[in-house]
Amino acid sequence: MRPTKRKALSALLFALAIGCSVAFGADDPKPKPENTISVHLAQAVNPQKFAQPFTIAISDVMDRSGNPQPMLVYKPRGGIFTDRMPTEILREALENSLKPAGLLASDKETADLTARVYVFKFGLAASSGMDFFGSVEFSVMLKNPKTGATQEVRASGTSIANVAVLKKNIQKNVQENLETALGDALTNFFRGAQLRDAVKTLMKAQENPATGAEHPTDKPGASATQPQSK
Amino acid sequence: MRKIWLCMLTALLCGAGTFAKDSEQYYKTAEVKHYTKMEGIELSDAFTDYLYAELRAELTKTKMFGRVASEGEVVDDADVPSSIVLNGQLIEFKKGNLAKEVIIGFSSGYRRLKLDTVITNRKDGATLFTLHTQVRTPPNRTEQLMAKAAAQEIAHELREEIKKSREKK
Repeated sequence: MRPTKRKALSALLFALAIGCSVAFGADDPKPKPENTISVHLAQAVNPQKFAQPFTIAISDVMDRSGNPQPMLVYKPRGGIFTDRMPTEILREALENSLKPAGLLASDKETADLTARVYVFKFGLAASSGMDFFGSVEFSVMLKNPKTGATQEVRASGTSIANVAVLKKNIQKNVQENLETALGDALTNFFRGAQLRDAVKTLMKAQENPATGAEHPTDKPGASATQPQSK
Repeated sequence: MRKIWLCMLTALLCGAGTFAKDSEQYYKTAEVKHYTKMEGIELSDAFTDYLYAELRAELTKTKMFGRVASEGEVVDDADVPSSIVLNGQLIEFKKGNLAKEVIIGFSSGYRRLKLDTVITNRKDGATLFTLHTQVRTPPNRTEQLMAKAAAQEIAHELREEIKKSREKK
């Protein structure tokens, strides 16, 4: 092969390589105003009735999903992003449900219980391809600051929504799906037998420290008591 | 011409009446629990999660229940007598054979999943119905598609069982 031809071929290959890298780079979605959704709880969840009045202060909400891009909820077609971190969305949703029920403490010092929230899943999970499968999973570590006793309450919510063809419909369906899954997870938390039993144990421990809850620990899963509802 | 229109209108109204009857609410709440797997069943945890979600969605679509509650949810005391709980187990799973499906056809080599669902009364835990469901899907499809088919089948069978029991009464 002549040197001129070789040069031309190498230039062509180089151009192809650059083109490919640009093309693949373009697939990586970036957050823009037109592909960002705002997830809010449509309606505050009404918690169950508790035997004893108490207040909760949310101390921390931490992401334990291990997802490097927690705000990216849908990757194809330029991606769909949430406008805030899942931890912020969950904190707002929890506070919005606690407040109307009179369960939200004004500050940490006056609260009967403190809550540390760990988010395990927030977004879309693998589905059949014919629908969107929204999944929200979190765990709340309730602590009685007076006794130091802790109890873990796990909650999960799911939602199935129809797929769409148009980008704006996909965005709308994903948003609705996430909001429904979030609402479902909060219903599971506030109306769950686990929360009822955890509060009962922690408040009982305050009255009688000898028969307290489990040894204080702040790691999720350490005091996994999951009583079954009737 | 007028008679035809009148006939069509009557037929439409009758049809609407039938559909309204189908969407009658039989129970106040239905709680769905995650299906457990028998030993040796090679299906992921994501499968049971998806089956749980699909089953709740399908049961909601039947409109037979006031509310389809999530696992571990507390039910109001007034609603407890008219509430049911669905407990299920994955009994058998055959992976299927793609080569068989391609060469022989006629749905040979399909994946096969058998599930048992026990529906109990929330108040006393008495068994109301037991469903034995079997679904078959092509081997090259995802687990989630099988879960969707299973959920649709369970919801359909439950609807039929409830209707049958109401007719007997």
